Amino acid sequence: MRQKRSEIYSVELSGTKDIVRTDQGDDKEKYRGLKNNCLERKKKNQEEDFQKELQLDDHKLNNRELEKKYGTNIIMGLSSTRAAELLARDGPNSLTPPKQTPEIVKFLKQMVGGFSILLWVGAFLCWIAYGIQYSSDKSASLNNVYLGSVLVLVVILTGVFAYYQEAKSTNIMSSFNKMIPQQALVIRDSEKKTIPAEQLVVGDIVEVKGGDQIPADIRVLSSQGCRVDNSSLTGESEPQPRSSEFTHENPLETKNICFYSTTCLEGTVTGMVINTGDRTIIGHIASLASGVGNEKTPIAIEIEHFVHIVAGVAVSIGILFFIIAVSMKYRVLDSLIFLIGIIVANVPEGLLGTVTVTLSLTAKRMAKKNCLVKNLEAVETLGSTSIICSDKTGTLTQNRMTVAHLWFDNQIFVADTSEDHSNQVFDQSSSTWASLSKIITLCNRAEFKPGQENVPIMKKAVIGDASETALLKFSEVILGDVMEIRKRNRKVVEIPFNSTNKFQLSIHETDDPHDKRFLMVMKGAPERILEKCSTIMINGEEHPLDKSTAKTFHTAYMELGGLGERVLGFCHLYLPADEFPETYSFDIDAMNFPTSNLCFVGLLSMIDPPRSTVPDAVTKCRSAGIKVIMVTGDHPITAKAIAKSVGIISANSETVEDIAHRLNIPVEQVNQRDAKAAIVTGMELKDMSLEQLDEILANYQEIVFARTSPQQKLIIVEGCQRQDAVVAVTGDGVNDSPALKKADIGIAMGIAGSDAAKNAADMVLLDDNFASIVTGVEEGRLIFDNLKKTIAYTLTKNIAELCPFLIYIIAGLPLPIGTITILFIDLGTDIIPSIALAYEKAESDIMNRKPRHKKKDRLVNKPLAVYSYLHIGLMQALGAFLVYFTVYAQEGFLPHTLINLRVEWENDNVNDLEDHYGQEWTRYQREYLEWTGYTAFFVGILVQQIADLIIRKTRRNSIFQQGLFRNKVIWVGIASQIIIGLILSYGLGSVTALNFTMLRAQYWFVAVPHAILIWVYDEVRKLFIRLYPGSWWDKNMYY
Amino acid sequence: MRRQLRSRRAPSFPYSYRYRLDDQDELNQNYLADEEEEAEEEARVMVVPKSEEEEEEKEKKEEEEGQGQPTGNAWWQKLQIMSEYLWDPERRVFLARTGQSWRVMIRPFAHSLNFNFNVSEPDTWQHYVISLNGFLQGYNDSLQEEMNVDCPPGQYFIQDGDEDEDKKACQFKRSFLKNCSGLEDPTFGYSTGQPCILLKMNRIVGFRPELGDPVKVSCKVQRGDENDIRSIRYYPESASFDLRYYPYYGKLTHVNYTSPLVAMHFTDVVKNQAVPVQCQLKGKGIINDVINDRFVGRVIFTLNIET
Repeated sequence: MRQKRSEIYSVELSGTKDIVRTDQGDDKEKYRGLKNNCLERKKKNQEEDFQKELQLDDHKLNNRELEKKYGTNIIMGLSSTRAAELLARDGPNSLTPPKQTPEIVKFLKQMVGGFSILLWVGAFLCWIAYGIQYSSDKSASLNNVYLGSVLVLVVILTGVFAYYQEAKSTNIMSSFNKMIPQQALVIRDSEKKTIPAEQLVVGDIVEVKGGDQIPADIRVLSSQGCRVDNSSLTGESEPQPRSSEFTHENPLETKNICFYSTTCLEGTVTGMVINTGDRTIIGHIASLASGVGNEKTPIAIEIEHFVHIVAGVAVSIGILFFIIAVSMKYRVLDSLIFLIGIIVANVPEGLLGTVTVTLSLTAKRMAKKNCLVKNLEAVETLGSTSIICSDKTGTLTQNRMTVAHLWFDNQIFVADTSEDHSNQVFDQSSSTWASLSKIITLCNRAEFKPGQENVPIMKKAVIGDASETALLKFSEVILGDVMEIRKRNRKVVEIPFNSTNKFQLSIHETDDPHDKRFLMVMKGAPERILEKCSTIMINGEEHPLDKSTAKTFHTAYMELGGLGERVLGFCHLYLPADEFPETYSFDIDAMNFPTSNLCFVGLLSMIDPPRSTVPDAVTKCRSAGIKVIMVTGDHPITAKAIAKSVGIISANSETVEDIAHRLNIPVEQVNQRDAKAAIVTGMELKDMSLEQLDEILANYQEIVFARTSPQQKLIIVEGCQRQDAVVAVTGDGVNDSPALKKADIGIAMGIAGSDAAKNAADMVLLDDNFASIVTGVEEGRLIFDNLKKTIAYTLTKNIAELCPFLIYIIAGLPLPIGTITILFIDLGTDIIPSIALAYEKAESDIMNRKPRHKKKDRLVNKPLAVYSYLHIGLMQALGAFLVYFTVYAQEGFLPHTLINLRVEWENDNVNDLEDHYGQEWTRYQREYLEWTGYTAFFVGILVQQIADLIIRKTRRNSIFQQGLFRNKVIWVGIASQIIIGLILSYGLGSVTALNFTMLRAQYWFVAVPHAILIWVYDEVRKLFIRLYPGSWWDKNMYY
Repeated sequence: MRRQLRSRRAPSFPYSYRYRLDDQDELNQNYLADEEEEAEEEARVMVVPKSEEEEEEKEKKEEEEGQGQPTGNAWWQKLQIMSEYLWDPERRVFLARTGQSWRVMIRPFAHSLNFNFNVSEPDTWQHYVISLNGFLQGYNDSLQEEMNVDCPPGQYFIQDGDEDEDKKACQFKRSFLKNCSGLEDPTFGYSTGQPCILLKMNRIVGFRPELGDPVKVSCKVQRGDENDIRSIRYYPESASFDLRYYPYYGKLTHVNYTSPLVAMHFTDVVKNQAVPVQCQLKGKGIINDVINDRFVGRVIFTLNIET
């Protein structure tokens, strides 16, 4: 393959080792990895599929054998009836869309996920309790039925909300179907017909012309100058020529097969359909991608972990107190109701919804910065990413050949390769440059498409191949109107490039009216061009080409080749006017003009240059502790050059080969540890065991994987994941899609990216700007920190909600807070404040710290749980009890009179219960007082939650360092808390079922000192953390 | 807030401000408070008023919280009183009159309001008798005469003075209950199928039933044939609660306070069937039909006397 390509235009110099290997290794080289991989994953059907792919041998067959195999005729095509039969047998030529989970299943999953199970249990217990009550007493109160219904309502609402959020994010997904070409020109019944591409069957003879997509996998029967763009499949930027010759054992490498969904750039091709639909190569990759299970995102794992903790606490406390209650001779039914109360108090019902909202807020913020997040949870994943595996072509690079270097006058000049080429600073004064530029301009068949006058040069569409396009744009930028120059130098005759000549030649009249000579210009593979030259132009003068000049040429050629660039040589010759008068008739077949002893002018090298934002982004990732690995389908030389230029391999680090080269010793003698960087090719990779791969991934800081197949990309991603790393994969091609799917977070390019890649990815960079990833990392880390704060905030009040039940059971107080009231806190007053924490700014520079360790830095860790539950939570419970006791004392029940009052208090027949002052209370009065107590307790928690909200703004810094008013949303949250509280107490106080009463205004202030105490306490905690970093205090109090 | 309203109401309703109006939804009753610290802030009405300054300050504060309106404005105060009359947020009563809520309860207390007994089987009613006897111990004439004072009927027994000073209580002698006193018939009529049931009013500190006409107790069949109860006697014969037993100052200072009682003697009730009985307080402005709290101004129980 490489040799073939080198014949076309250029040679890559140090690739020889690879080439040898390629040739030695059989055509299965790329697929061995795949095979192993499949075996590993024990997916039998997939394995069979890929084995079938291996058996593809149509490229080896000649036309007759093909006709026989597919029962078709190359001239006549299939008969319509036969085609219909085959269509019925094989199905339409389209990719099966990835299997979708039925919506109802998704919905039900939301209904039982997270805390929902606990709440369902609670609801059913409520109803069972009512059933038991009802069977013994027909007039049993419906309270339990209400409560059960409310719980179910909560579950359903949160479920619907989560489902809605998920549905919203999955809707963005486009499908593979978009890639399908709409129409195909097919020969059937000896007639050319245009039919929908979906109806193609194997054996159909199709014609494809430049600009069309290949409608299926086709075996080329004949072609005229056909080139296809395989970049989405193999990662190669250059167009690949296609002809009917069998050139390589490997079906992917051979020239006589065109692949489904790739684009025919120019020329025409006639071919026989050999695979359709899912059996195409693309189909296989697509099924590989859909076969890769979606990994759980790190945040999903964290949330699950958190749910387990909370559910564990809830269930164990619930059961413990159920047993205690039963052994305290409570009726089992009552104990059951306590159990429900404990569960409801312990479960932060609103939290999961809050998390979703928080994530979607960040997703929105990122969308504004052109990061479209498809999977909400992926928002955080980027923040915990520790390895980025980036594709090269189209992701790190612009996916556009661009002139990078020039060599003339024995000097290498650097051209500007930035996206707009605006700044070409090399020395253009030399007359050699004048000659060179003339050759570049004239010996070029590429043209701008018409009607693009207002489009910037670099964005103009061009008819022609990538190299010629690059040269055209380069000269257009420097010289101005190329078309005009060409007009002035009328082309007399030309020999277009072909594989036998390996050069391109044209003869022009000159634009100098006094110069009657013809100018012959030629470009091609440098060594071929050099062979034809006898002189070399230096500073505008011709010098004989002697050994020393030849040597400088070779040095330059080697150097440019070593940069991974494609090098072209340029030469010219003014044909003497006496021999070639104006009327001379050139004959390109007879070659009646000299093609040797030309004058060598210069070299020009081209590369697909890195995007200008990438190096900076890579540096930022580095400083954020993220390892950036390049994984590309392209050649190692090119890959290394790009890796160096974007900083994936830093300037001062060397590979083993570099060291060997520098010290002039064999590679084997180099101490592996000395090398910081490694370049691993797909061929090396397939011979490696998983352990060896792990070793490489662990030992080298800077790694480039080149010549990798889609399957190997998958293996690499898995290898990284084995290191406990959170892996982000960026890519744009179809060949990246399995890895994108496998990665913890797949990032696809929005403009350059193929639909398959976008489909498999979790995030799409709408502007293809790699730097957006840095933004994403920052947002992801921030959201993780802020989620911690949100959870700490939310968990705190759970203790304050739980204690009433425990004390109610143990000490027999009238119930301080009702289950419904708890729900009003969890789903009412606390929601907006906890979302508001998502708007909190970072406390320190989060981009200078290491990514969190997946297994060590948990979202909910022990200090967080302990501090929230046992420190602030208990303080809050005390404060709320203070309000409760105040209300009861004011009404006549001093705290000590409340102890063990429960039984009488709740007895419907006691209607003259005496309080501390001898007043007598009916049951209804007591109930009303109980509700007032609920409201008081509610207000107590609410007031202290305000303090809790403020202290949660920071985890380490003082609130005053963070700024009390910088996050305005916090204040919106506080306002909402108070307003909802006021509405509940004074607006809905008359709705009996809600158990709220109109609380006297002064009770709102009872808990205020407590709230201030909480603030002070937390400030002291933070102060000690800052004063004594690393101390016991820091370890146990910092969450 | 409450305090402010109350004190504002004071000039125009010289008495009503002194106790907390109490309807079915309102239970924040007043009492003579020798309160704990946290309660102190809420000064009680019966307590000697705090200094004028403090009062004003409090009002100001509360007003700011409540309405955010300027203070000390007579016009505003008038408006307040007016709007209170239309809609009293304290009690959530629309166009509230002086609705007084008496809450009543009956004795004997037997864990349910169904009086189910067989005349010929003393075991079935013995516990009622024991309960009544126990309850009436505190009403024994000797004890009452020794501890309490005989105060003039028909008017409140107001005792000004320091709030933690002990208060005297008015006598309510067991003998007032005549046939239901258990003195003559120690079985309170249960042995003859003519049970006595005592109605008492729930004590509320500071409560003064602002009565024009005396409030009378009257019982009848709640549902069913009115003639199931053919005769009831009430003791004291007035079937009402005398004003002298009010106000109540709370058990901390009003140690020997004995709640006034009205005994209902069901002398002729249909036997061998459950008779739902509703005893109501009747009088001007008395609420006795609240659904939520079935002890406001009335009590409902069933009699099922078997022979």
